[in-house]
Amino acid sequence: MRPRLDLLPLAFLLPSILLIGLVILWPLITGFDYSLHAGTMLKQGRFLGAGNYTTLLGNEDFWHALRFSVIFAITNVAGCYLLGLGIALLMNADIPGRPFFRVAFLLPWIIPSIVSVVSWRWMIADAHAPVNLLLKLVGINPIYFLSSDIWAQVVVFAVKIWRSFPFMMLSLLAGLQGIDKTLYEATAIDGATRWQAFIYVTMPQLKNVSIVLCILMTIWTINDFETPFLITGGGPSYATENLILMAFRYVFQRNNVGIGSAVSFVTFLILTALAIALLRLQRDRG
Amino acid sequence: MIASLRRGMLAATLAIAAPAMAQAQTVLNFWDMIWGPPEYIETAKKLVDRFNAEQSVIKVQYRSVPWANWYQTYVTAIGAGTAPDLSTGAGYQPVQLYEQGAIKPIDDLIAEMKASGELDDFQPGTVERLRFDGHYVSLPWAIDIRVWLYRKDQLAAANIAPPTTWTELRSAAKALTAGDRYGLAASGDTGGSHYIYSLMINNGGGLFDDKRTLTTQSPRNREAMDFFAAIVKDGAVSPASAGYDSASRRRAFHLGQAAFILDGPGLPDAAPPETRANIGILPPLAGPHGDKGTIAWTNSIMVYQQTKHYAETKTFLTWWSRNQKPLWTEGHAGPMPARKSFAADPYFKDSALRSFIIANYLPVGKTTGANAAGIFPVLNAIEGDGVVQSLTQEILQGKDVGPALAKAETKLKEIVQ
Repeated sequence: MRPRLDLLPLAFLLPSILLIGLVILWPLITGFDYSLHAGTMLKQGRFLGAGNYTTLLGNEDFWHALRFSVIFAITNVAGCYLLGLGIALLMNADIPGRPFFRVAFLLPWIIPSIVSVVSWRWMIADAHAPVNLLLKLVGINPIYFLSSDIWAQVVVFAVKIWRSFPFMMLSLLAGLQGIDKTLYEATAIDGATRWQAFIYVTMPQLKNVSIVLCILMTIWTINDFETPFLITGGGPSYATENLILMAFRYVFQRNNVGIGSAVSFVTFLILTALAIALLRLQRDRG
Repeated sequence: MIASLRRGMLAATLAIAAPAMAQAQTVLNFWDMIWGPPEYIETAKKLVDRFNAEQSVIKVQYRSVPWANWYQTYVTAIGAGTAPDLSTGAGYQPVQLYEQGAIKPIDDLIAEMKASGELDDFQPGTVERLRFDGHYVSLPWAIDIRVWLYRKDQLAAANIAPPTTWTELRSAAKALTAGDRYGLAASGDTGGSHYIYSLMINNGGGLFDDKRTLTTQSPRNREAMDFFAAIVKDGAVSPASAGYDSASRRRAFHLGQAAFILDGPGLPDAAPPETRANIGILPPLAGPHGDKGTIAWTNSIMVYQQTKHYAETKTFLTWWSRNQKPLWTEGHAGPMPARKSFAADPYFKDSALRSFIIANYLPVGKTTGANAAGIFPVLNAIEGDGVVQSLTQEILQGKDVGPALAKAETKLKEIVQ
């Protein structure tokens, strides 16, 4: 006897499927369609097939933006993970004023990005800015952070780490508090040092949450528009332009929606591949 | 009793008739960019109220549109079928949106104005500049322009006469540089890129020739860039400039940290009161070959294809064009008026700075498309993309002009193609 197909669960799922189709699938298909055509947002041009993609591969800006996006993601994930983990370990310990510090360390994440980024710009803008005044006090010449390609990149990385680490800290702190205390008692009985307990108990216990956090942070960093846009606008001389800023520039400023959509679609593919690879890694080791 | 009955009947009649009267009124949506300080918006609203009060056939709804993401605002509205009936906009907006089928030409209005002689009231070349593909795509209302301004106090203290040539500007900027003070205020944003456009035009160059072919690396353009780079290499520009935005550039000038600035005519009005009296205007500078010129944009009002009330829109557009003088006299709009009759008002005549700009700068102003006649769609993409902005940043960083200009040309070619 063939099993009867129960349509009721499908019926319950239908609204969600429709909603996902409307807000995710439809823009994805439309974006892909744009990437196959010439033209503008108002007037789609002729069908180019993979023309926009081949143009992109020969575009120096694209390779620069891709390279910057990768470095940006690696720096931010590493930076905010290490900072977040360090502070989470401190917050997990019984230190005086712990509730105050827990709230204080969340501030960079709570403050609206426009406020924090404008404040950062003000702090580093020129020779009269607070950071340079501090450097002057210790005998260091002013650094023109936003006028140099390298320093502008460093600033974008630093501000992104500053804005991102509280989320990492909060999640890792939750992970730390979920570790069974008896594991530490057992390692203590076995004579393990604190470092050994950290390496052989804490880190393995945080592995799953760490993988998920790193995947999320990678996606959020590669997709980050506001940090480089508000600090440097992608400059100086495109030095801090990531893939998302490049897509924005092509679609809304250069009025070339085909290339801009191709950049977005390539970004989407990179992120999807990355997410699949990391999730498989998690499953295989799980 | 009868009186009460009559009053009741009258009220009932009005209650029934009022919606019908309201329906007969044509509603127009007018979107206006922010062209001046906060009082500009209030003045524009009052002006619209005046139009609405003077007649009962058309009701105009005013919406003030911020400059941030203006292109997305309009494209999204057009794409969604909710474009305004008419709007003001960026210098090359009408021609770019016209090419995409979103702007309705106003050839008939221009023909009527020409027949009545009203067209003669517009500054020379402003109306023709907005002719593209054989059609008038919008009606000029103002001219935005970049002019050289200086700090009177700093030049007086150093006993330096206001420069009239590039050579004099360079030596004055160098002489006025000391410690934390620099000769020239500059920035790496859009406002900074205006230095590049202006210097190219000033030297008889420009991004295009008369056939709209790119001439980025022409000898005159190269000479202009070398001049700008020389001022940077003199140390007369703050090393922070490449990372400055226009607000930082203006702040440095207002604080007396720089002696010269290239900016809009509205800068002195926006300056702190204690600084305002210290701001002077240089004459259009003579380049090494004696040429004079600067970058200018004709700001205009355009009508959208989506309007269902073209006749009414034209009526309002004509009225607005004739009656918008308070936008300057009360609203302190930044750009200069496109109508000569407005420029003859005491508000302009009695102001040494404004009258000087109208008499000396407007005649030498040219668009980003210089040396081609009129405006064309790609100019909007060129200004928006930031190629020239990036060139500005590289020069302000002290990089070599040759490779920077060559890189800019490659990118400009991509855009033009």
